[in-house]
Amino acid sequence: MKLFLSLLMLFSLSFAEDSTIEVIKRVDSLPSIAVEDSSISYDDTFKMRFFKSIVADLNVISIFNVDRHYRETHFNDTNVIVNNKDMNYVLRYKMFEDDNGALNIGIKLLEENKLVLSKNYKVGRKNIYMFISHAIAYDINEFMGEASVAWMKRKVIFSRIIAPKKSEIVIADYTLTYQHTIVKGGFNVFPKWANRAQKSFYYTALDAKIPTLKHVDIKTAKVTNVISSDGMMICSDVSDDGKTLLLTMAKDGQPDVYSYKTNTKKYTRETKYNGIDVNAQFMSKDKMVFISNRLGYPNVFAKRLGSSEVEQMIYYGKSNSACSAHGEYIVYKARESSNAFSANTFNLHLISTKTDFIRRLTATGVNEFPRFSKDGDAIIFIKNYMAQSSIGIIRLKHNKNYLFPLKYGRVQSMDW
Amino acid sequence: MKSIVLSGVVAALLVFSGCSSKDPVVDAETQEVEAPAAQEVKAVETETVSSESSVISSGTDSLTMSDIEKQLTSVYFDFDKFNIRADMQEKVTTSAAVANAAASAYSVKLEGNCDEWGSDEYNFALGLKRANAVKKALVAEGVDAARVAMVSYGESNPVCSDKTKDCWAQNRRVDFKLLP
Repeated sequence: MKLFLSLLMLFSLSFAEDSTIEVIKRVDSLPSIAVEDSSISYDDTFKMRFFKSIVADLNVISIFNVDRHYRETHFNDTNVIVNNKDMNYVLRYKMFEDDNGALNIGIKLLEENKLVLSKNYKVGRKNIYMFISHAIAYDINEFMGEASVAWMKRKVIFSRIIAPKKSEIVIADYTLTYQHTIVKGGFNVFPKWANRAQKSFYYTALDAKIPTLKHVDIKTAKVTNVISSDGMMICSDVSDDGKTLLLTMAKDGQPDVYSYKTNTKKYTRETKYNGIDVNAQFMSKDKMVFISNRLGYPNVFAKRLGSSEVEQMIYYGKSNSACSAHGEYIVYKARESSNAFSANTFNLHLISTKTDFIRRLTATGVNEFPRFSKDGDAIIFIKNYMAQSSIGIIRLKHNKNYLFPLKYGRVQSMDW
Repeated sequence: MKSIVLSGVVAALLVFSGCSSKDPVVDAETQEVEAPAAQEVKAVETETVSSESSVISSGTDSLTMSDIEKQLTSVYFDFDKFNIRADMQEKVTTSAAVANAAASAYSVKLEGNCDEWGSDEYNFALGLKRANAVKKALVAEGVDAARVAMVSYGESNPVCSDKTKDCWAQNRRVDFKLLP
């Protein structure tokens, strides 16, 4: 009996960690949290803007039932507001502007009227308040001992198509509230962070006679040409140490995957099939997944760098044209309908290479360009639906999707 | 021990209850909106380029680069395909003749394009394969391969942005551009 129970426990624990299994209906069991504003500077519009931002961030960390009522109180009051007395947690914050015009924010997290966490934040300009809001949510999540949401503090880089053959490259926070256009004018696509620190990035310039991969150092604004190829030139992925790039190039009109060493500037052709091989993503330091039409339709394959052996990874769907990998998991885009005459639906699916379980992650519209966060906790993707382009985030362990719409233009590609 | 065992059982129950539902609860907020029915629009006449005789009568000597470019008409493709259709072969032959005569002083840039279904690399590759199919056809007709450059714009260079099948068909194309 004991053995049976411990086996059952082992079984349940091992499966509880499987991201392809959905967690449904956990809302009722989540602790409640309310937010109290004690700000002394700033007008009501800005106060409300920050409040909405912090409520949204607390929702995204998916560990609380967040109360959406805006309430004000004094920062040093020992008791929470009467309306919030039944809440498990209360987050109280105070914004104030110092003599240099910097935005300062102090927070207190109260659990049943007891102070459990306090912290102070500061940014030079108030228009980048959203980064403090993300940092607060990140810190509370850490304090609660939950799986890291480090991706919240990372920046998203994306290309936005504003007219045919016209685009701009934008750096934003994950909610797209903050947006800074870093490359303006021309036709530039497929931006990709060059390193984990997000200090520089690559992008493809399509204005030149031959598509060219460029490297931009954000601090110095120095732009360097990296490599060019007739037809196609895309940096699909960058290794964790930033020293190896996976490129799609098309020497003689033949799209293939190449690996490129940034220190020696030497490249190696990784795929040799005479159809389409694109979209290579690192699975580990020396293994990649990529999209190939070698079976007559686009599907996901894997191979070790430098070896010629290719392995089919997905056995479902007739058109799987984009993918991203993290450890044993692969997320891929599948066309649900194959029709030239009506609207098509593309959904994202998650598969574990160990169990072969498949989980559908999206339900409507055109969902594409999936990318895992570095820690595998979340997937970011592009959603185009009803003429609206958004960036979406899927929290795998919490079975939640969040959409952040773009005000104008269309997201072509992105990285985070 | 008891509590550990219990929590194991609870966890197992949670997992099983999670498995029992087939459809994930995702994107619920967007599901209620119905997709618009594809509008039935009359086929658009895409071959509106002035006839060759009218261009030639204006005097070949004084033709500018953009005048010659207009004689190089776009080649259209089927959904998810990059082979040159039988009805497009004649266009390619005509373009090859122009490339070897009036446009012989210039390089030819082939721009591959796709419809709006997907912004991923695969779509760019499809555009490129289309450009490459046209390049091979041009070379077969006697155009020097060294004069032909290619680029793919994926779905980012549409000539039509309506949500109709005719519109998508117009976007699945290879355009010719001349470079000095």
